[in-house]
Amino acid sequence: MTNHRTRSPLMRIILLLLATALLTACSPPEPPQLQQATLLPSAKPIADFNLINQKGEAFTLDDLKGHWTFAFFGYTHCPDVCPTSLGMLGRVMRRLKEDLQPDAMPQGLFVSVDPQRDTPEMLAKYVAYFYPDFIAATGDPAEIHRLTRQLGILYVKSAGDKDNDYLIDHSAAVVLFDPDGRFHALFNVPHDADKIASDFLLIKNYYEATR
Amino acid sequence: MKRRLSLLLLSLITSLAAADSSLLADRAWVREAPPGASMMAAYLVITNPTDRDARLVEVESPSFAHVMMHKSVTVDGMARMLHQDSIPIPAHGSVALEPGSYHLMMPAPDTRLSAGETVEFLLHFDDNSSVRVTAVVRKKP
Repeated sequence: MTNHRTRSPLMRIILLLLATALLTACSPPEPPQLQQATLLPSAKPIADFNLINQKGEAFTLDDLKGHWTFAFFGYTHCPDVCPTSLGMLGRVMRRLKEDLQPDAMPQGLFVSVDPQRDTPEMLAKYVAYFYPDFIAATGDPAEIHRLTRQLGILYVKSAGDKDNDYLIDHSAAVVLFDPDGRFHALFNVPHDADKIASDFLLIKNYYEATR
Repeated sequence: MKRRLSLLLLSLITSLAAADSSLLADRAWVREAPPGASMMAAYLVITNPTDRDARLVEVESPSFAHVMMHKSVTVDGMARMLHQDSIPIPAHGSVALEPGSYHLMMPAPDTRLSAGETVEFLLHFDDNSSVRVTAVVRKKP
């Protein structure tokens, strides 16, 4: 008759090896293979900023915490690239809604880099057109810059066809913040809604598995 | 006098119909402006079945105060809109005005255009020919 008190040394070694193999199998998973996203080597904490949301309320770093956030930077006078990108982000949201519980849904944020022309009231109607839950923010140029410079997002006014119809050259990338409010990943153009949605689910799962 | 008047009328109608070009324009659509947007974009495909290169040099529309020719380009991750004096259509080729590339840009009219409505554009080419095209307003690409 045998019990674990009388196991042979060989048996002990085999058990130890088995346990090690099991532990290795349960160790942190490999980073996901992504189609469009560029994952930051380590998520970058963001210093606080003070913007205004589409309801005219303060929008700060705290508003990026507790949920994932897709952010796009542009301006409403932009007729081609911005509606295309926001329409694409709206499709990402609708795709994710099929897979995620409401409380796990990411937030979609449009930051207007044109506070001279884009008011919170205008932004509220503008973003809701693309997806009802989209939020928007803008604010003092210095505060916009305080956020964008931490993300490598660039924008510069360029001459328009008329004096008051100036255009703005701006980064076309979509930024992903994690629920800690850190800059987590970047989606460069050309954007594909299905690829972004599936990348997001992989990033989210990996983040939750490695916490 | 009557004859001269009818000739004048005829030439006027002909110029309005503006089907005097060998170039073809189709698949024209206008992106419905999101609320608050002051600018709109229109897209179409122009085909040049002739033996010579052509250029689109001017576009007008009764629905918009003016129509500009633009091209969106993304260089090093920066999206820019570049004003175009003309848009080339190679001989036996075609050019697509499409999101993220060449497009027409118009100030949104006071009365909002909704999906399903149609607007007319008159395209003028460098050989002094013109093509009229009807574009449908669409909610998304």
